[in-house]
Amino acid sequence: MAEVHALAGTDVLEGRSEVVRSYASLVVGALFREKSFRAGAMIITFVAAGALLAPAVAWLLGHGPTEQFRDTALTEMGLPTGPTLEFPLGADGNGRDVLVRTLYGARVSLAIAIPATTLAMFIGTAIGLVSGFLGARIDRIISQGIDVALSFPFIVTALSLLSLNRGTDGKVLVAPSVVVVLIITLFSWTYFARLTRGLVLVLRRSPLVEAAQTIGTSKARIILREILPNIAPVILVYWAVQLPTNIIAEATLSFLGVGVQAPEPSWGNMIAEAQRSSLYQVQPWFLLGPGIALFLTVAGFNTLSAGLRNVLDPHRHSG
Amino acid sequence: MAIFSVADLHVAFGTSEVVQGVSFAVEPGKTLAIVGESGSGKSASLLGATGLLAPTATVSGSVLHKGEQLLGLPVRSLRKRRGADIGFIFQDPLSNLHPLKTIGAQIGEAITAHHRVGRQELRERVLGLLADVGIQNPAARINDYPRQFSGGMRQRVMIAAAIALNPGLIIADEPTTALDVTVQASILDLLKRIQQDHGAGMIFVSHDLAVVSDIADDVLVMRSGHVVEQAPARVIYHAPKQAYTKELLGAARLGGLAARAPEPLPPAAPKPNLLSISGVWRSFAGRSPLGGGLIRPVLQDVSFEIGENEIVGLVGESGSGKSTIGRLVAGLDQPDEGKLSMRERVYSRPGPGGIGIDRQLRSEIQVVFQDPYASLNPRRRVRSILAEPFIVGTELDAVTIRRRVQELTRDVELGEDLLDRFPAQLSGGQRQRVAIARAIALEPSLVVADEPVSALDITTQVKIIRLLQTLRQRRKLSLLFISHDLGVVSELCDRVVVLEKGVVVEAGKTATLFGSPRHPYTRKLVDAIPGKSLQESPTTQRVAAHG
Repeated sequence: MAEVHALAGTDVLEGRSEVVRSYASLVVGALFREKSFRAGAMIITFVAAGALLAPAVAWLLGHGPTEQFRDTALTEMGLPTGPTLEFPLGADGNGRDVLVRTLYGARVSLAIAIPATTLAMFIGTAIGLVSGFLGARIDRIISQGIDVALSFPFIVTALSLLSLNRGTDGKVLVAPSVVVVLIITLFSWTYFARLTRGLVLVLRRSPLVEAAQTIGTSKARIILREILPNIAPVILVYWAVQLPTNIIAEATLSFLGVGVQAPEPSWGNMIAEAQRSSLYQVQPWFLLGPGIALFLTVAGFNTLSAGLRNVLDPHRHSG
Repeated sequence: MAIFSVADLHVAFGTSEVVQGVSFAVEPGKTLAIVGESGSGKSASLLGATGLLAPTATVSGSVLHKGEQLLGLPVRSLRKRRGADIGFIFQDPLSNLHPLKTIGAQIGEAITAHHRVGRQELRERVLGLLADVGIQNPAARINDYPRQFSGGMRQRVMIAAAIALNPGLIIADEPTTALDVTVQASILDLLKRIQQDHGAGMIFVSHDLAVVSDIADDVLVMRSGHVVEQAPARVIYHAPKQAYTKELLGAARLGGLAARAPEPLPPAAPKPNLLSISGVWRSFAGRSPLGGGLIRPVLQDVSFEIGENEIVGLVGESGSGKSTIGRLVAGLDQPDEGKLSMRERVYSRPGPGGIGIDRQLRSEIQVVFQDPYASLNPRRRVRSILAEPFIVGTELDAVTIRRRVQELTRDVELGEDLLDRFPAQLSGGQRQRVAIARAIALEPSLVVADEPVSALDITTQVKIIRLLQTLRQRRKLSLLFISHDLGVVSELCDRVVVLEKGVVVEAGKTATLFGSPRHPYTRKLVDAIPGKSLQESPTTQRVAAHG
């Protein structure tokens, strides 16, 4: 029976004797009854709306994300103004609108973290499935590979890779955002691979898979039809867990000046600039704007993943 | 006067009432058996009456212990009674024993929780208790940990803790369900003796009328929260009034049947061989706690045959290697030595590539697993599960597959309306029918059934066995039926192979083997079958039918 519990929740079916339209519709229903999922979804919708509406806000205020308004946004001494009607969150050291830049920063964060995490999920899951199901030598080699990948320090490796991206003339070879996506993927597929491998190892010896073997199902079909649907919810939960980590990773790289490059706004390079120029002492919103946005997004995804786990993976949240 | 009496007990979780008006009483020195299938409310009524349910449960009615009302008592005074006046024995001793404390300390705790006792005296008392429950050489074992004991021995330790303070009432909730049949017999004997020595009242909860037949004075049969029948054991076993009690009794009698005298069998023509297992050895690499490999032999020189359209029972206690044989036959595992052949064709032998099962042979041997919860994909509807063998193993088109799936559901007597359900929406018996339907979909010659009924309620077991009998006749199936339950085996099987620690100790026709067992181990197994006394009743129609 312990093996049954390794499978993620059949609990949404509990107490339902009628024919259900689809499993997915039950799960969606259960998700929206789950408090933390609702709260997380609300926060994320708010962030996503901000990211989508960034051009509209920029148009309304008349401030582009990289436009400088040295006359109106800076005092005579060259210090940025605090929140005003024209600059709702004040301005930064170059006279740019903090609100508009924060909203554009959300686009950057999501546009890097979501593809990176998704790519890592696909790669990690595929490798984990193969490694766990085929076992033996292939599994040993892949597991060693994962160990090696995990032993690279994130920051140092990222810094070296990004500096390799500069040609002899000092110009970047590939857009830095693409490189950042690839680096984050490189560092997070291993977690998906390990998770998947562990789940598959349990399922591989389960009656579920042996039953499929005895009717003569091929390996590929067993992996795709019997194993994958049963571990997919757990992997999906892990996607939502990994996403905020990767948003922070992007912010970290941008903070260190190797991720998204100024003047393009990103929460990481905004925070770095506020800190470097010490201007947050006169204009706290310079730092608070991107800081709060980063906090909200990470908190939103964490809350969402907690809710997802409660519904999709109910045997895990109690311990 | 009754030591414990319950009147009009109701237990509810939220809006669902799991116990609806149950009343019973236990006298000192007597045993009341509460019998019912899973979900009947038998455990809930006892736990509710003794305040052991989660606070989300609402309990009402009256529970008198030594004339004093227990319901509504604060937790602290309830706790005082539990252990001191009421001793509990549960099904799973492993999860109720602390893994990191010695058994001596745990039994001692049962005493020191209620009394102040000196160290030397405590040790003396614990030693006395261990001897009392039949632990040999207690002085040497008092400092051992639970994992160093077998399941039966652990249950003895639990019993020692439960009777440590000489309680007037012992509550035993399925205390032998997790144990092998020979161990079960010894634990039942122990409980009976202890209860007589101490003159305690006992409430014994079980799903099986056979198990309690030697020990109960009164029997209460429950079903879905209601009392079905409540009478002295004599009446329940010999003149039951309710149809449901009769049904349970019929299921319980299966066990007793095994012990009947051999009947003169009509000389049957020897059946042509289908499968033969010859000289098979198998061992697994275990891991010793100090690291390093440890080879654990599981099967030693096992040989037997299965004929066409024959049902062969494979019996033995847990760890005897039954399931390993099943996996070998199904081609899920490979022998270290020896070979397996189907219709004279070797399909499994040692060495790389030793399992040579082509598509045709694959469909010839199918498996029904023990746990239908684990062997059906929870993400697929029944229809899709049953279509799978046709999609994988045949070239049929979608329309034909649809029709064949419908035929299958009729064959296993499963409602067609269940085809669009998910496995989680089916009962245990319905799930096992789906598993059987999947196994017979490709019209195999041999089905390996590994404990196919042991996870099911007892009345459902009977129905599944009837189904297997029907299918065998209609489809000319052979069956390798793996079970620890001799009753079920004797009802179903033509021949029986007895396995002890990986060695075949005896094999033969079912009636002969159970009627006059030759090997001491077989005799021990047969003697341990609960409910043999049920057969001696003159009202037993089944015996009459067998004349």
